[in-house]
Amino acid sequence: MTLIEPRVKHGDASDGTTPSGPLGREIVRTDGPLKVQGAATYALEHQLEGLLHCVIVQSTVGAGRIVAVDRSAAEASPGVRLVLDAGYSLMLRSQPDFFGNKPEGDDYTPFATDIHHNGEIVAAVVADTLEQAQAAAQRVRVEVEFGPVIATHDDPRAGHGNPVPLDKDWGDPDGALAEAPVVLKATYETPREYNVPIEPHGLIAHWEADDRLTIYEPSQWVDGMANHYATWFGLPFENVRVVSPFVGGGFGSKGQALPHSAVAAIAARMLRRPVKLAVSRPQTFTAYGGRPATRQRLKLGATEEGQLLAIDHDGSNETAANAAFIETLGIVTSMMYAVPNFRSRQRIVPVNTVTPGAFRAPGKNPSAFALECAMDELAVELGLDPVELRLRNEPDVDPETGKPWSSRRLREAYAAGADAFGWTQRNPVPRSMREGRQLIGWGMACGTHPVYSSPGEAMVRILADGSVEVLSSAIDMGTGTYTILAQTAADALGVPVEQVTTKLGDSRLPRAPVAGGSQLANLMTAAVHTTALAAREELIALGLTDPNSPLRDRANTLIIADGRIAPPSGEGISIAELMAAIGRDVLEVTRDTLPRKERSSAERLKFFTTLGGMERGTSIPKSRHSFCTHFVEVRVDEDFGTIRVSRVVSALDAGRLYNPKLADSQFKGGIVMGIGMALLEEGITDPRNGRILSANLADYRIPTNADIPHIETISVGIPDYDATLLGGKAVGELAIVGVAPAIANAVFHATGKRIRRLPITLESLM
Amino acid sequence: MASVRPVKLDINGKEKTLSLEPRVTLLDALREHLHMTGTKKGCDQGQCGACTVHVDGQRVLACLTLAVQSEGSAITTIEGLAGPDGTPHPVQQAFIEEDAFQCGYCTPGQIMSAVACIREGRAGSDDEIREFMAGNLCRCGAYPNIVSAVRKAAEATA
Repeated sequence: MTLIEPRVKHGDASDGTTPSGPLGREIVRTDGPLKVQGAATYALEHQLEGLLHCVIVQSTVGAGRIVAVDRSAAEASPGVRLVLDAGYSLMLRSQPDFFGNKPEGDDYTPFATDIHHNGEIVAAVVADTLEQAQAAAQRVRVEVEFGPVIATHDDPRAGHGNPVPLDKDWGDPDGALAEAPVVLKATYETPREYNVPIEPHGLIAHWEADDRLTIYEPSQWVDGMANHYATWFGLPFENVRVVSPFVGGGFGSKGQALPHSAVAAIAARMLRRPVKLAVSRPQTFTAYGGRPATRQRLKLGATEEGQLLAIDHDGSNETAANAAFIETLGIVTSMMYAVPNFRSRQRIVPVNTVTPGAFRAPGKNPSAFALECAMDELAVELGLDPVELRLRNEPDVDPETGKPWSSRRLREAYAAGADAFGWTQRNPVPRSMREGRQLIGWGMACGTHPVYSSPGEAMVRILADGSVEVLSSAIDMGTGTYTILAQTAADALGVPVEQVTTKLGDSRLPRAPVAGGSQLANLMTAAVHTTALAAREELIALGLTDPNSPLRDRANTLIIADGRIAPPSGEGISIAELMAAIGRDVLEVTRDTLPRKERSSAERLKFFTTLGGMERGTSIPKSRHSFCTHFVEVRVDEDFGTIRVSRVVSALDAGRLYNPKLADSQFKGGIVMGIGMALLEEGITDPRNGRILSANLADYRIPTNADIPHIETISVGIPDYDATLLGGKAVGELAIVGVAPAIANAVFHATGKRIRRLPITLESLM
Repeated sequence: MASVRPVKLDINGKEKTLSLEPRVTLLDALREHLHMTGTKKGCDQGQCGACTVHVDGQRVLACLTLAVQSEGSAITTIEGLAGPDGTPHPVQQAFIEEDAFQCGYCTPGQIMSAVACIREGRAGSDDEIREFMAGNLCRCGAYPNIVSAVRKAAEATA
């Protein structure tokens, strides 16, 4: 193997360099004390006078038409204030969803008349107490005309699906495959997977006046959601406030207002009282869509030496009967390896499901599952080490666009990961490594995630006591936004990080785009850095020129460090002393990173409330991606077929890490979720009626503590200033990508059985 | 129709009197009636552990416990874990230092479980911690850091 000697620090995700300022340091999360005391206020925990409780009623059939809803028994139940259905509600204005699906016509109601999926909202009950609302919700009678249900894409009636315009073509894949000495053909499948944040969805809707709506709702995008409510109710954007200071996990599922969100806002409007709507855990499985089930057919052609000649990829995913969702299955396939002949096609297959949605590394994750399993199969076919096969196909430029990489340290990742794992000790023969009755398998695979970027906006306030506030509508769902933005401001201003507080998650604050695509940390550190530098310049200008400044005319410039402002040589004063001397209570600066030409207020708003501002890289001269590789050990009980992941080493290139401690938590979290994807998670659907049978946390199995072994992460990234202003790349979604194929490949190595459909269970090994 | 009756609860050493229907769970009594929202609702059916509290020193799922069942028992929630002067419990401190959470929503339940896990003498090894903390789900995947934090707190309090 041609491995490059790693120059990295093992054991954590630290990049091995000691940063000069607060940014890049491993400090503990600033919101930690509130969270460990139970004092962090999540959406449903805001206290409002006169709060009523709303419970939704979901369809128990998978398709059909509602003939009648009998509200009378529910209305007569104790404590009930209101029972809503399609015939008794408010009509809203329709608004396209995250993915551009717009309900037919100009009107929108969250209550179904035609049923498209099991679990669609058909009614809702509002009562004084939660218990009263729950009891009355069971007394709503719905008469339905049953329709034909196509529950999943396994139903032959679902058909082949509809093509979507994501064709990618270069070279002559058919010709190359016909002549390739080695050809591998295989089909890979992933099931429905659900985000299941431990904080279930829900909200409190509060009309503060007839035309002013405040929403407390867990949100990955308060500005986008405020815009959604504003359209629904025909309000100016400014009249809707979305508050989301803490988010109990999202993983893609909390980016937009959903049908139940409209229900609560309608109920609050009709009753003129604040209404709390908590989606129950079973209801969450149809209140939002998780990752759709996917199917990918891959053909790889290669030389005997392992040089890829062609990739032919055909992918499909389930979508809803009434809306299009595309899981971009060719996204990794087309950029991971140097290949001269390529084709990718994609289809979506409508079935009776809730519209699927974004779930950690949408597209990237299942795309890498198919490609990275296929590469392992090809390595076995060729008798090559799977790392060596990958090194032989490592592309010098992005094979899809021809652009140079901003940075691609995958060779360094292979070297560091293999070294830490002890990969050279691997006997490549399947079933060759064992310990007693345990078959030991070692497998590896790669992952990648694009660097997306959007503009951001921030306010920096320097207060009279020298403390600093950073304000933005950006959110922190455990991703570390509070902490790294404080570090960024401290770094740029020259104050201790303890002096900085961050306020987030309120659409009244300066604007931010969606916390999705792993873009937020990079774009918000850029916005805060820009703003803090402007505040610093302003403070220095005041120090030099204000008639009452003790530093006036002492120098041509001033230096700020450790919270003190001073001439380049000589004694300085604290920021608080300067503020007092010049009689200022606050110095307030707002800046954004919008392109210069986009300045009208409507255009500004569009940047922050639609996905239109998200730069996917077409106008950027370099191809920007994070990369990772996972080395995994599994132990399979020879008699029972039980599979345990016993060891993981991952080496990751995510550029500069703004706080390696917190980035490391994101990496490990992604790996844990990848273990769930590989071995546990599966949305099981009743083929007769499209009901989700695994709609709870016992049947939809996410990893528990006992499922997770020691995980070692190694950061091989270096600052990449071609990727982002401060040198970081994508972190949050990176590490899940490639975990499932690494485990599938390890299971093959342990057992000799190639499992191409997730999750891999003991049944699949029988 | 369920009738409301007075219920006396001893929570974190303070007596609270509530008017509750008998069907109200301890979890909803805490969150909706006492506005003590540190105890979290993640599933409401005993599967996730986010609502873990201590009842007479034992870890208990508040979503599967009726409030009336808890009369006469000493209930401890996350809000009652710090010392009287506000000093964080060693487990709370260890969770911060080891970054044993991300979104923070499962965290109060994890911490209440961890305190009991150590008290039960079940924090002797990493594998034992993993097993005896397996009833508390964390979707952010902080498990490796939770194990570190529990081990650290167990060592500090040994």
